[in-house]
Amino acid sequence: MSGFGALRDRLTDAAAAFAGGPGQVADILTGMVDDVDRALRENLEIFPVCHHSPASALAMARRLREKRPKVVYLELCEDLRPLLDELANCRLPVALQAFATDLDGFPAGAGPLSVVAPITESSAEYQAIAYALTEPGVELVLVDRSSDHVFQWMPKDGPGTAGGDGDTGHATADPAGEDAGLHGDAVGVEIGDLRPRFAELEAYLLHHGKVRHWSEWWDQYVEQPLADADYATYRQVMVMIGSLFRRLRPAGADRLDRDEDRERYMWTRMREHLASSGADPADCLYVCGAFHAASRVEEFGLRGSGGFEITPRTATRWSYGLIPSSHSAIEAQFSLAPGSVSIAAATWRKALRRGGVTPYTLDGKKGRKGGAGRAAPEAGVTDRLSGFLARPPEPGGLDEDELRSWCVDIVRLARRHGYLASTADAIAVFETSVLLAGMRGRARPTPYDFQDAAVTCIEKDAVPGKRDVARLCEILLGGDRIGQVGYESLPPLARDVYDRLEPLGLDPGRRTVQRALLNLDAEPHLAPCSKVLWMLRYLLPDGAVRPIMGSKRLGERSIQESWDVALGKYQRELIELGYEGVTVEQVLEQRLRRAAWDPKATAAGALAAVEDSIVFLGGRRFTDELGARAVELLSAERTVDDAPEVLRRMRRLLAYYRASEPALPAWCEAFVTTGYAHYCTLLPSAFTDEDTGVRQVGAMLGFLFGMESLALSLGCDRAQLELAVRQSHPERPAKVALLWAAQSQLGLIGRDDLRRRWDELLVNPLVVPSCPQYIGGFVQALELAPALTSFVVEVISKAFARLPDPVLLPWLPTLITTLREQAGDLVPALVKEAARTYPADLAGLDAWTPPWEAAPGRAPATAAPAASGPVADLLRAHPASCDALAALLGCDPAWPDAPDAPGAPGAAGGGSPGHGEAAALLGRHPAAAEALAGLLAR
Amino acid sequence: MLRAPAEIKFADELDYLESIDDGAKPFSWRLSPRMVRLFILGSEPSDGLDREIGQKWFGDRTFVERSIVTLASDRGLLLIGDPGTGKSWLAELLAAAICRNSTLVVQGTAGTTEDHIKYSWNVSMVIAKGQSRESMIPSPIMTAMERGVIGRFEELTRSTSDVQDALISILSEKYVSIPELDDDNIVFAQPGFSIIATANSRDRGVNDLSSALKRRFNFVRIPVVTSKKSEAEIVRFRTEELLRRHRIELDVPPTLLDILLQSFADLRAAAASANSDDERLESALSTAEQIGVLEDAILHSNFFGDSTLRAGTLAGSLVGSLARRSPEDLAILNKYWHGVVEPRAREGGDWQEFLDGGRQAIATLS
Repeated sequence: MSGFGALRDRLTDAAAAFAGGPGQVADILTGMVDDVDRALRENLEIFPVCHHSPASALAMARRLREKRPKVVYLELCEDLRPLLDELANCRLPVALQAFATDLDGFPAGAGPLSVVAPITESSAEYQAIAYALTEPGVELVLVDRSSDHVFQWMPKDGPGTAGGDGDTGHATADPAGEDAGLHGDAVGVEIGDLRPRFAELEAYLLHHGKVRHWSEWWDQYVEQPLADADYATYRQVMVMIGSLFRRLRPAGADRLDRDEDRERYMWTRMREHLASSGADPADCLYVCGAFHAASRVEEFGLRGSGGFEITPRTATRWSYGLIPSSHSAIEAQFSLAPGSVSIAAATWRKALRRGGVTPYTLDGKKGRKGGAGRAAPEAGVTDRLSGFLARPPEPGGLDEDELRSWCVDIVRLARRHGYLASTADAIAVFETSVLLAGMRGRARPTPYDFQDAAVTCIEKDAVPGKRDVARLCEILLGGDRIGQVGYESLPPLARDVYDRLEPLGLDPGRRTVQRALLNLDAEPHLAPCSKVLWMLRYLLPDGAVRPIMGSKRLGERSIQESWDVALGKYQRELIELGYEGVTVEQVLEQRLRRAAWDPKATAAGALAAVEDSIVFLGGRRFTDELGARAVELLSAERTVDDAPEVLRRMRRLLAYYRASEPALPAWCEAFVTTGYAHYCTLLPSAFTDEDTGVRQVGAMLGFLFGMESLALSLGCDRAQLELAVRQSHPERPAKVALLWAAQSQLGLIGRDDLRRRWDELLVNPLVVPSCPQYIGGFVQALELAPALTSFVVEVISKAFARLPDPVLLPWLPTLITTLREQAGDLVPALVKEAARTYPADLAGLDAWTPPWEAAPGRAPATAAPAASGPVADLLRAHPASCDALAALLGCDPAWPDAPDAPGAPGAAGGGSPGHGEAAALLGRHPAAAEALAGLLAR
Repeated sequence: MLRAPAEIKFADELDYLESIDDGAKPFSWRLSPRMVRLFILGSEPSDGLDREIGQKWFGDRTFVERSIVTLASDRGLLLIGDPGTGKSWLAELLAAAICRNSTLVVQGTAGTTEDHIKYSWNVSMVIAKGQSRESMIPSPIMTAMERGVIGRFEELTRSTSDVQDALISILSEKYVSIPELDDDNIVFAQPGFSIIATANSRDRGVNDLSSALKRRFNFVRIPVVTSKKSEAEIVRFRTEELLRRHRIELDVPPTLLDILLQSFADLRAAAASANSDDERLESALSTAEQIGVLEDAILHSNFFGDSTLRAGTLAGSLVGSLARRSPEDLAILNKYWHGVVEPRAREGGDWQEFLDGGRQAIATLS
């Protein structure tokens, strides 16, 4: 027989009085009482909780000591169970995480999927976990849907989309606080989400409760009155609130369907467990959110129907681990008011100090055994709700001493942060807190009143430091506690990293940036640390490890390195890296492999992977594999968009191999021959294709001419290139210029032809406007023919001299930006050549004649081949090879006369008139020559 | 009376609240703090009052509570915020509710002297009778001290620093000495005396408050209203008052109110993302300015139009009120009209007329 008859009657009367007759209001009010009655009569004891509620935690600790259940069922993703054993090694708050990157069964591109369940010390679930893990013979069973189901049951627009799912919250993209982003973009799950399910109801409650946000409402109207309530009252009130929010909800909400599915899931799992383990329901405790305690699904209860079929998980491979969390991260994840979790933690600590409850903890010690076994089962459900609803709440909040000490502390803290706060402010904060509490109808000030009072009295027109008074209050009330995952609970990769970095003497627990100095010459044993740091630099976000001095590039080695290491702060990222492999090398290899074998991979991307593999891993086998993949990708490419990147990387790699290896690797040779044939084939179409830029064509030609000697030595045919150039008929001026340069390089046209063509362009008024584009082409031509540098200087100089202002002036900015963007590495050569060509001072300018305008007769004659010197002497001494070569080429091997006996003063430079000056100089100052002769004679 | 002070305008509400108030009243307050809050923020059915009390100030409840408790403590209250955020209105309401007198006001200007804060002399009486309490002219602040009521200081940061510092002794020692008199030469503040000052945050740096004075004030920062719902309520509330005052029978169509609110929201967003002052309107785009634009449009429609508020007139008023600098402001408005209003006008409704009216106004001013 129900004990709630009287309450039900009173509520029906109240509904009739206020709503004008029986109807929906009466149904809701009496329905709430029915829900409470039903939940409390259930044979399996249901313990309703609210997330991050110290009152729930206190009630849980008391109840566990009283009842000592043998089995604890917990509303938490069932696949997270193995992680709970690791909690003992961590400093809370930490979050249990399930992480998946290899998706199977979810839309492509939805990953990585991540679920986090943060655990704080002041929560009921932590009490239940600590009890079950520290008491022998107690089984802890997680019964909620798996992480896989969290995403399976999400709305159809795909996982990863924003939106709540039952007790889930999405981490905000732009977390306000510095440590609020600890969870990344994971979906959060928590136990006991208890909040109005539509905005209007929440707004109504806040408005009439005269509070600012939900956390404050909850604290004032539920948390404080229930803090010292007996167990029966606690349960009844919690179920009633759960029922209220359940009954006042938007009709037909998807979210409710999912909540109900979860309830079916949990009850099905519990019944399965009871049947398989044979546990006595009287020895079990079911810990769930108050919202689920008031469930009305058919599967509810041990006698409920068992028709719910649990869908199988997808084939997605999930990894599990613990990541550090923080109060602010939890607040951001679940849209709680800033500071609310810190205040809850402070309330919890205060309640513990007050005594009466011994909490369970996991810090290696078991909680003190107290009480005498199982509590006597309740004979029937007695109504505690009437009393709770009729009685005004007991005065809670701060006591006077605590408030006074807070006032003093906040002033001290404010002073330390640059505020001009004094004892007078402490007094004012105290007075204002009391006045505010009075105005808000509270017998004593709450932490929220204190915060308002402190802001009113201490905050002035500007914040002098980094933190304002509201933030300082949060710090004072416990601050943003940041958890840490202990070494033993880290994944192998993270442990390996910590071990390998140990020689650096860094403290892995510190969240601040630590400086590591590596003198690699003096301390060669630190070289492996440097290697790990460079790999972490590649794999982790920017701030985790940052080189201040030292670099890691192809073929380079640092002598000294200096690093800023913040692995403590980026512990989550390191742990998530641990889901991908056992060592950083393995993860790096996987990443590079993934990049090279991606369906959208390009040859340039594969070459980048090759470069990274040489720099970071160093093994030949994997590099060759990546190189072979680059060859494969290049031959399959149909566009030449990446040609500049391919050219740049290949040049660098060839230089590296030539400098460090006795022979080029096979893949390099294959790449050059394939590239030669590939670019020759594509050259004619690239010249005419509108979409292919001049930079790309320049890079193709750069590849063809720059690697020509290597390609020809490997068996390529030069005729292929000549044909390709002859078949090219570009129309765009820049490409025409490129073609001319290519023809000149091939010897099809001479430098004079080029000069003539350019001069003709400059005098033809019809093509003058397009001259700048020709110049763009000539600049790009430096890529393929560095010898043209002097000609390009001439071309640009003539353009500046002759182009009319309406063409020249608008083009100048374009010239600068184009040079900077597209020809950054060609400009220094150009500038050097210009510096060589132009006079160095203003005075020289007047008498200066450009070399291209100088009379041909005045041009310096090309130097005659040296008839003397060590080379000539050597050849003359051993003429066989030259004679054989001459015979092969069909020339007559005629050796010029040998000069007179070497060393004779009269014969010095006798072969060349240009040497006369040198001979005269040596004659005047013979000392050096004589000393040299003496040295040689020795 | 062109504009009645709050204590006269809402006298019946104040009388009623005083009659039912059984809460503890600090000092000589006429209402308890809760009733002061109720007077300013309006009543709810759950308050169980016999009559409805209208909401007079729209904004976060916490600001009002913090202001009231400050006045109940021994510190002065400094309301700081952008122009047009309702600081002075809140100050007036607070003074009216607490002591039924909101008129003891000193207006801070560059020309304000210490005499305006303390006392001055009636020169002819001094010549005739010598210096005495009769020949002394007390300032509004001194009057407030003597009566134990609230004195107000508008635009505190507009007055020079030495004048501001005259308030330090008033707020600390709570008396003003009159050295010119031999006896009866100290005016003590009576219980209930406090000061509500307002300061414009845009004037920061003109005459900065000294640290000593800052210490004696609690600062309550009033932000610009960004909630569209609250802003609509404020504009409606003030416009109705205006219509009543001018005895104008004219309807403000809700669609036009939406257009006005939307335009200000757009322009504020543009100002927030601008990189320099030249790309930002000189106006603070406060709620008060919206009310000004609407008032201008209503008066224009009533006296020069057909007594119907039209979107074109509203656009003209908006351009006229916001285009203060030429060509910077006009360029910003022109850009807004072309970039935002024009696409909206394609959807039809009043936006088309708003577009035409605005273009015409911009063309006239350019």
